[in-house]
Amino acid sequence: MAEYIKLIDVTKCTGCRGCQVACKQWNSLPAEKTGFTGSLQNPADLSFTTWCLIRFDELEKDGKLKWIMRHDACMHCDWPACVKACPSPGALTRTDEGAVIHNPKFCIGCKSCAVACPFGIPKYSKAQDKIAKCTLCYDRITDGKQPACVTACNTGALLFGRKEEMLEKAHKRAEQVGGLVYPGNPKYETHVLTILPAGIAPKDLSQMNPDPKMPATVLWWKNLFKPFTLIGIGGVAGASLLHYLIKGPHEAHEKKEGEE
Amino acid sequence: MSHHSKELIKVTDATERIAHWILAGSCLFCLISGLGLMFHSWSIIPTLLGGYYATKWMHIFSGVIFAMALVNAYIMWWKECIFEKDDLGWIMQGGGYLWPTDNLPPVYKFNAGQKAFFWCLIGCGIIIVVSGLVMLSPLVFPVVIARWAFMLHALGVMVLGSFFIVHLYLGTIGNPGTVQAMFTGKCTRAWCETYCPRWLAEHDQDPNKNIA
Amino acid sequence: MTNHWNDIQHSDCILIMGSNAAENHPISFKWVNEARAKRGAKLIHVDPRFTRTSATADIYARLRSGTDIAFLGGMINYALQKNRIQRDYVREYSDAAYLVNPDFKGPADLNGLFSGLEGTKYDKATWTYQLDENGNPKKDPSMQDPNCVFQLLKKHYARYTPEKVCGLTGTDPQDFEAVCDTFTATCKPEKSGTIMYAMGTTQHTYGSQNVRAFSVLQILLGNIGVAGGGINALRGESNVQGSTDHAALFHILPGYLKVPTSAQPTLAQYNEENTPKSNDPMNVNWWGNTPKYMASLMKAWWRDADLETAYSYLPKPDKGKNYSYLPIFSEMAHGKVKGLMVWGMNPAVGAPSSRMIRRALSKLDWMVAVDLWETETSAFWQKEAGVDPETIKTEVFMLPAAASVEKEGSVSNSGRWGQWRYKAVDPPGHAEDDLWIMNQLVYRLKDLYKAEGGAFPDPVLNLTWNYGKVGPNGRNTPSPREVAKEINGYFVVDKDIEDKATGTITKFKAGDMVPSFAILQDDGSTCSGNWLYCNSVTNTEFKMMKRDSTDPTGLGSYHNWSWCWPVNRRIIYNRASVDLEGNPWAKDKPVIWWNAMKKLWAGDVVDGGGAPGAKYPFIMINHGHAQLFAAGMTDGPFPEHYEPLESQVKNTMSAEQVSPVIARWDKKVKEEVCDPFIVEGCAAATFGSPEGKEFPIVCSTYRVVEHWQTGQMTRWLPWLAELVPHQFVEMSEELAREKGIHNGDKVRITSIRNQEGIEAYAMVTKRFKPFTINGQTVHQVGMTWHFGYKGLVTGGNANDLTPFIGDANTMIPEYKAFLVNIARMGR
Repeated sequence: MAEYIKLIDVTKCTGCRGCQVACKQWNSLPAEKTGFTGSLQNPADLSFTTWCLIRFDELEKDGKLKWIMRHDACMHCDWPACVKACPSPGALTRTDEGAVIHNPKFCIGCKSCAVACPFGIPKYSKAQDKIAKCTLCYDRITDGKQPACVTACNTGALLFGRKEEMLEKAHKRAEQVGGLVYPGNPKYETHVLTILPAGIAPKDLSQMNPDPKMPATVLWWKNLFKPFTLIGIGGVAGASLLHYLIKGPHEAHEKKEGEE
Repeated sequence: MSHHSKELIKVTDATERIAHWILAGSCLFCLISGLGLMFHSWSIIPTLLGGYYATKWMHIFSGVIFAMALVNAYIMWWKECIFEKDDLGWIMQGGGYLWPTDNLPPVYKFNAGQKAFFWCLIGCGIIIVVSGLVMLSPLVFPVVIARWAFMLHALGVMVLGSFFIVHLYLGTIGNPGTVQAMFTGKCTRAWCETYCPRWLAEHDQDPNKNIA
Repeated sequence: MTNHWNDIQHSDCILIMGSNAAENHPISFKWVNEARAKRGAKLIHVDPRFTRTSATADIYARLRSGTDIAFLGGMINYALQKNRIQRDYVREYSDAAYLVNPDFKGPADLNGLFSGLEGTKYDKATWTYQLDENGNPKKDPSMQDPNCVFQLLKKHYARYTPEKVCGLTGTDPQDFEAVCDTFTATCKPEKSGTIMYAMGTTQHTYGSQNVRAFSVLQILLGNIGVAGGGINALRGESNVQGSTDHAALFHILPGYLKVPTSAQPTLAQYNEENTPKSNDPMNVNWWGNTPKYMASLMKAWWRDADLETAYSYLPKPDKGKNYSYLPIFSEMAHGKVKGLMVWGMNPAVGAPSSRMIRRALSKLDWMVAVDLWETETSAFWQKEAGVDPETIKTEVFMLPAAASVEKEGSVSNSGRWGQWRYKAVDPPGHAEDDLWIMNQLVYRLKDLYKAEGGAFPDPVLNLTWNYGKVGPNGRNTPSPREVAKEINGYFVVDKDIEDKATGTITKFKAGDMVPSFAILQDDGSTCSGNWLYCNSVTNTEFKMMKRDSTDPTGLGSYHNWSWCWPVNRRIIYNRASVDLEGNPWAKDKPVIWWNAMKKLWAGDVVDGGGAPGAKYPFIMINHGHAQLFAAGMTDGPFPEHYEPLESQVKNTMSAEQVSPVIARWDKKVKEEVCDPFIVEGCAAATFGSPEGKEFPIVCSTYRVVEHWQTGQMTRWLPWLAELVPHQFVEMSEELAREKGIHNGDKVRITSIRNQEGIEAYAMVTKRFKPFTINGQTVHQVGMTWHFGYKGLVTGGNANDLTPFIGDANTMIPEYKAFLVNIARMGR
């Protein structure tokens, strides 16, 4: 099974938000009642019913005004923290295509994934007591289509294709525009890549983790404490059994006269 | 004054015993349901409990009971679990469980091991309860705190779970007769003399004092 | 658009000015990005606001709203001074070498005026070329004669020095220089630059002249007719090109034929006065065919009447009488309009000074609103509109209409492609498509006229109305395909036509589709509803339905995908893309080329035909050459900078503050109307007046990508309402500080036309910055005009503030530069 990558070329994005609406349409997500956020960004953040969002950042770099519009959605990590943190089998799955999908049927609303995610992607609904997020349109890509957002994008800011092909494209384009490929961490691969314009670093942008990785707390929790809980309990139980067998029970003894 | 070694002495009252079992029961349930949520391969546990979603809520519910029982336990036992000078000697000799010793310092009501378990319970319990509370609504906290909560919850369980087994062993087959303290509330004089001689002496002075 | 959307990909430099294309024409950016990625094209954005377009541009230059001509004049001057022009192109293909009437004087001589001003109109007697004995313009190929267009142009724009220009526009001189340098680099024959513009260009009292300035620049650079060049008006609606082609305007008939006036009582006189004559064999003189177009149109409408009778049926306004948007509402405010059909339109939000427009609506006896939803216009009498319904006597009828996917028909896009669309779903409820509604209307009007007579019933009673299958009651169920056939045109009688060049005779039978507009007849033997669309339907195929995505030219012209007017020519004036030998200027993106072996043109459908150099390329222009000197304009043959009617800045270019020939409704209405509400609605805060000082901030209205026009469609859609749920006003941090406003505060915006003002949220942003204009600080704000009082989301209506003033040529309102004041309301 081939792995896929969605490529977000920020240098080509015009912030039209067609992706945002296409996502809602394909996934039958209801509109939110929004307010004025102080910028064009709306809804204010990703949510249970908003799986992708254009984030608007105004910043001054070297005296030049930059207005960055960035498509933000699940990064579909190769080694997803959300899946690792999830207690309920089947609620979050990393598929062979590289998509990380959620299944509402199995989600128990524990929010572990929302906390573990280095990108803050899974969003919780109190009313549903579940999380939801971008699925890379798993139902479309397994049917030979592109994700809805990519289909809607008309400026070429969103591309989708085979992993190798997209990786090559991403680096070529980044070289052409003099920008970065994000995350750009060879130890933390994702199935979504973002090309940033020249002179823009992840730390300049809102909600962009400059150093995305599996959180250490999740590693400690899942790789250390989790096995050691079993080892601890099992070990102590075994030691107790050994103690019983070797030393035998500790009998209460009668007090000898005059000892007091 | 002479006493028969098989004489039964009331060492706990009903309140203490009920409190213990609520604490122990909720703790055990939390542990089992929690392990069911921790290990995907143990899906039998959530299945038996009516599914993962039900398991989550049962875990939370029993966690609340555990938290209340924990507060109660602290109030009930904290004074008797303050470490004394003699406890060091007890610990140095492994409580007499590991190699032959014959000059264990006389214990009042709880020996140093029991005290350690108590403080471990209180310590880990607080970590588990507080982190558990954060985990109920982790998204209202800064993500660093929320992530630590998930990690510490597991850490607390790892430590407390292991200690819990020690407690289970020593409270039952490891020390025959002990378990009665938590069922009938009565233990033999010999048991008392072995495990809480100083308390027994005090008890003998005034049998109406000093239960629980 | 002279070119097409996908032709932008061939451009070497893209100048977007007066448009926020990234936002309002998002698809265009597919091609803009393509040109940048593949050709290394530079993107320049010139705009008062730093928009989503500016964000992606290589060069962004700010200019104060309404100073486009100053800016472009500066660019033209730069090109002329630095010889950044494509000289051969200019000499051969434009009127640069033509000699102009020596009595012609321009702003350089007359301090801002052209010769011939009489009151508020120009007498254009001196705006003429010198003609030779054959009636053809005299030329000086050296372009040195002081009276030649080129020298006059040079003289006119020599005044537009960088200092003067930047002083007026507020542009950083370095940015200005960068724009000039980058864009005029396309003067090289093998390079092309395109200009994309929209309402930011046109919605000024000199909007048409803004576009003219683009033309002058593009002609000098040799950028018209070539791939990746052109002047591209980004049309704001999928079919607005179709609506103008088919004359949803008062001053033209279908195919841009002039509306006859009462001074032209006969067709013969109409033809005489509207048909240009030329004795130059190289001049194609396209409009010389006017009698054929007109006769065919008359036959399309009144099949059974002879041509003169049919012509007599046409309504003929008095000469100079204007029935455009503003005058209609002005007349309505006067109580002279009894009924109004509002068909897919929402003037209660979209018209300038719309508060006054709503008052004018209340003077109607009846209104019929045809729309998808209840609009602010059809609800102008309701409480939400801020009026007491009891006081309104107008009777309003709502006819629910089908949406675009609920009906069949053609759509003509900005690139002039007529594309057939099919019905996807049935309209909901009682909604019907427009053709069905129109069909009903015609039959019922005919019945009424038959039964009641009335004044001049013949045009209606004799109107040919035969679209679709005829039912048992003798009436048809209308079919858009039948309409399309009539628009193309067909023979109404058998006719043999001789090709004069070859002598061959083609026999046509009645009912045969006319294959091309050249075959249309002036004797009434053909009918055609719109000569421009002649060739779109043939006897065998509906070309608008073609969907062949092969691209034999490799240029992305897709000649077999849909159909393009004229005669499937994808790039207009493409003959200008080759030299006189027929060799393309740009070898890597040829539009057409001459195959000397076969003696044939290859590539796109060539303009004019004949061998290379045999015809002038600008076939739609009377003398066949692109016009640097355009006498057809009402306000001057060269674009000249004037200030907007409402401005805080003195015009330093000349003594004329505003264009002398704009229609001043503020003055007119004050004299004629006693309703103070309407007088206030037409008022203007002009430069130097006390009102002008009261409203010190320049405001522009605009659109965002998330909403459509007055929001009558998008504010009812939850997914779009979610994206932009509130009216907002963008302002600089400096202005916000001055006014004590914080981002997200509620503010009130007032203008002289609306002292109560409208509410909006403040969007305080770095993207706005105050301008320094000749030492004076000018603040500028901007807001959308998408909001009203109906729909899922509602908000302050920006057009309650906008001025009731229009362009001197087109009457398009000056939405892009007017004066307001702003005050903080609270959180």
